Amino acid sequence: MSEIIHAGELVGDNRAAPVAKVRLVKMADFGVGDKPTLAISLVTAVVILAAWWLVSRLGVVPHLFLPRPDEVLRQVGNIYRDGYAGASLADHVSASLFRIVVAALIAIAAGIPLGLLMGLNRWAKGVLDTPIEFYWPLPPLSYLPLMIIWLGIGETSKITLLVLAMFAPICLSAQAGVRSLPLERVNAARALGASRLQLFFHIVMPSALPEILTGIRIALGVGWGTLVAAELIASTRGIGYMIMSASQFLATDVVFVGIGIIAICAFAFGALVRAAEALLVPWKGKL
Amino acid sequence: MLKVDHASVFFAARDGRTVHALDRVSFDIPDEGFVVALGASGCGKSTLLNAIAGFLPLSEGSITLNGRPVTGPGADRGVVFQKDALLPWKSVADNVALGLKFAGVGRRERQERVEDLLQLVGLADFGKAAPYELSGGMRQRVGIARALATDPAILLMDEPFGALDSLTREHMQELLISVWSRTAKKVFFITHSIEEALLLGTQVLVMSPRPGRVVRRFDVDFVRRFVEGGDARPIKTSPEFAELREEIRAILHEGENLRSAA
Ligand SMILES: Nc1ncnc2c1ncn2[C@@H]1O[C@H](COP(=O)(O)OP(=O)(O)OP(=O)(O)O)[C@@H](O)[C@H]1O
Ligand SMILES: [Mg+2]
Repeated sequence: MSEIIHAGELVGDNRAAPVAKVRLVKMADFGVGDKPTLAISLVTAVVILAAWWLVSRLGVVPHLFLPRPDEVLRQVGNIYRDGYAGASLADHVSASLFRIVVAALIAIAAGIPLGLLMGLNRWAKGVLDTPIEFYWPLPPLSYLPLMIIWLGIGETSKITLLVLAMFAPICLSAQAGVRSLPLERVNAARALGASRLQLFFHIVMPSALPEILTGIRIALGVGWGTLVAAELIASTRGIGYMIMSASQFLATDVVFVGIGIIAICAFAFGALVRAAEALLVPWKGKL
Repeated sequence: MLKVDHASVFFAARDGRTVHALDRVSFDIPDEGFVVALGASGCGKSTLLNAIAGFLPLSEGSITLNGRPVTGPGADRGVVFQKDALLPWKSVADNVALGLKFAGVGRRERQERVEDLLQLVGLADFGKAAPYELSGGMRQRVGIARALATDPAILLMDEPFGALDSLTREHMQELLISVWSRTAKKVFFITHSIEEALLLGTQVLVMSPRPGRVVRRFDVDFVRRFVEGGDARPIKTSPEFAELREEIRAILHEGENLRSAA
């Protein structure tokens, strides 16, 4: 027998592996990717709650400043049963939700088409850039007085304020979405005979969608901040108003309840947008 | 017939100078012709293809397809890009069907056409897959199927196999030739590879840069043997093939030397 290994000899086991016990693998992500973080976050939440409970329990901080977690929880029950500041909890929450949902819908309905148009058309960009670049860096509270003077203290002024605050990030992200569209993709579609309209609906819109969803997420964050601020100033209903009333009586526990509700709502909205992303743009970042 | 007549392209470079990318290039692609543009990087191959596709207007000269002047992109010229430009939000089948959809072809007919095309490029089982689930070679095949879907008069291919490994590349060459011999389409094909050019083309245009010109034209017929025999190896090792390959290599080298001397 020759000592030399015969060239081209079969190496290893070439039979197919039994499918039942294969290990499924995928490409390593960069950064966090989609590794699970939920458990870590939950533990962190528990640690924070425990620290809160300990600090308030030991009396490190005066009770007026920091109520205990169980007191806040009891206060939730109380407000749920009896309402607060002249309205039921449901009234407060639904008033705030109504404002933000209506404003978000208007901002999305206006922001996406205008942003896409600004990304596509020189005149639209030139004309609309002036007012948008002027107003959007302004803090919404600085023009809230104008809204109240022009539109009164009813829903219109608050919703208008919110629409203005939420419009800019959506509009700008839609523009950015159009601008990041690879020319090769456009050319490919044109060579397949796409009309301008088909190009818009089949290529431009889907290409811009990931950026638009990011814009909506940012807009909702901005929206909650603006909403509470607006309700602090001119309102008879809403979570912001509830917090404001509580602060006048130094009812820290009620303030905590209000903050908790806003946090839950904002989180739920964020989760909704993330679900929309998973559903609409599973291809984001691929190819 | 596709007719390129004294096509010249001048670009404005960023620094204000003028780049002469294409200088009075003329050639014809007869029906069933397979014309390959071969040349060093920067000799204007992509520029020429972009002009034929209608993405780029000419500075001078004209391009006509079956007598009609080319003024913009259209479904009568199918383009296969070097980096596939597939839509990641559409399945493989929907990507292939895109041109048919643009043309308003009904759903049922689209489905049938797409099935045939996927069969043709050997991807019958992958219609439902997403483009990013495929390998580079498979994606390129989807790109070819997509370009064929609208039944264009000519296929324009810009280094479609440049990014593939040599084995996949050979498979793709066989596939392309079998598609070409069955559909009898005109093809304009760009490559860096002399062997690929000689094996596939009925006509090879050797180009030189600065300004981009066609310096030599070879009528070859190795592809006829390839279609008949189906095996590239005996063709590539034949003396005629080797001789022509060396001749073209010499031309390209000469251009390269002139360039570095200048
Ligand atoms: N948009 C542009 N603006 C200015 N100059 C350009 C532009 N596009 C191409 N050029 C120049 O034109 C010349 C030809 O470019 P082209 O892309 O056609 O080369 P190519 O033969 O396809 O090269 P490669 O094999 O590397 O793809 C190059 O010198 C390039 O710098
Ligand atoms: Mg090129």
